[in-house]
Amino acid sequence: MDIIKEIYDAVMEGKVDEAASRVQQALNAKAETNDILNKGLIAAMDVVGEKFGEGELFIPQVLWSAKAMQAGMDLLKPHFSSTDRTEKGTVVIGTAKGDIHDIGKNLVAIMLEGSGFKVADLGVDVTPERFIEKAIEVKADVIAMSALLTTTMPSMGEVVSLIKAKKLPFKVIVGGAPVDQTFCQEIGADAYGMDAADGMRKIKGLLGR
Amino acid sequence: MNLQVSREDLLKQIGYKDSPQPRLLAMVVEMLGLLEGLVEPRQAFRQIQDEKDLPAFLSGAVLKYAGAVTLGPKLEDKVKDLFDRGKPAEAYILDIAGSIAVTKAGNTLWNEIREDAAANGSKKGLRRTPGCRGIDLETQQWVFEKLADIDLGIELTSSYMMSPRKSVSFLARFGGKLKGSFSCKGCRQYADCTLRSSK
Repeated sequence: MDIIKEIYDAVMEGKVDEAASRVQQALNAKAETNDILNKGLIAAMDVVGEKFGEGELFIPQVLWSAKAMQAGMDLLKPHFSSTDRTEKGTVVIGTAKGDIHDIGKNLVAIMLEGSGFKVADLGVDVTPERFIEKAIEVKADVIAMSALLTTTMPSMGEVVSLIKAKKLPFKVIVGGAPVDQTFCQEIGADAYGMDAADGMRKIKGLLGR
Repeated sequence: MNLQVSREDLLKQIGYKDSPQPRLLAMVVEMLGLLEGLVEPRQAFRQIQDEKDLPAFLSGAVLKYAGAVTLGPKLEDKVKDLFDRGKPAEAYILDIAGSIAVTKAGNTLWNEIREDAAANGSKKGLRRTPGCRGIDLETQQWVFEKLADIDLGIELTSSYMMSPRKSVSFLARFGGKLKGSFSCKGCRQYADCTLRSSK
């Protein structure tokens, strides 16, 4: 079987060790690194994301696939030059100020990393100022914020206000149980992610990738 | 307190309706085994006699209660540990199992409060959690003031959230004029609610 197809299958099936060993095998065989990345790892993860969005796959399977992709990426990265862009973009992620719930945010971070994004995870109870500071530091493309309670949602709006006041280039995506499209529009965020798969799709859309 | 989580309930909460793959099933069984050793429930409730600073929800009630229950810190420490060790699927499954367990713990506490109320002559009652259904999250402070002399192991953050996170608190009222029972149909996310559709 084609080694790229084997990498694709390993990621699709969430087989971490197999994904790593197939990527290593492909590298040893001098396969094109771009093919390994785009036709193997990323192509598989894109399909996993789609199937999750369609309800065919569930979160544990997506997490396994994300881990398999990461294992392959770890082996692949040293083979790209420093000027090659192997990431789809950089996302600063965190739970809104006052909120300590992080499971959903952690899952989104892992799925984003597994889909080829560079992720700076600020954890929980993140102030608006800290979101901005980190986004500037890592030259982020997107700030992603999560909240579980209506009482912590307003600080998401403060982040958007700071970005507008300082004329910063960051896109903002919001998500979490009480958040919806109406709230997203009210605070002037760029996108609302209904779930992790939707969030990834919207982030790719925001970045035109 | 019986907080046993069934394999079926856990799989349903994750989203599976049909038979899951053996790998997932093995992980679910492993996490349910772990859960048993990580849950250290502590609960308390108190009947409220003092009318001072009474939350509006309790006004006019014949019997008024404040209660809280926690699964303790071990569970979420383990979830964090699994995430940190690169095992997010295990962490996720264990966290979901904990959510089911803390819901059961809340129901157990509610049943005990109902028994207490019944023994005092009131059978019909309602409970509300601070932060939900019209009760301000700040009311959390009032609940924990009423339980302050009981060592529950729950701390409130400056934004009134409970730590450990797998904790539940509520106000309960019996007698007086009860408002109608709650319906989630008014929620803006009713159509997309994954909790409702998984049932």
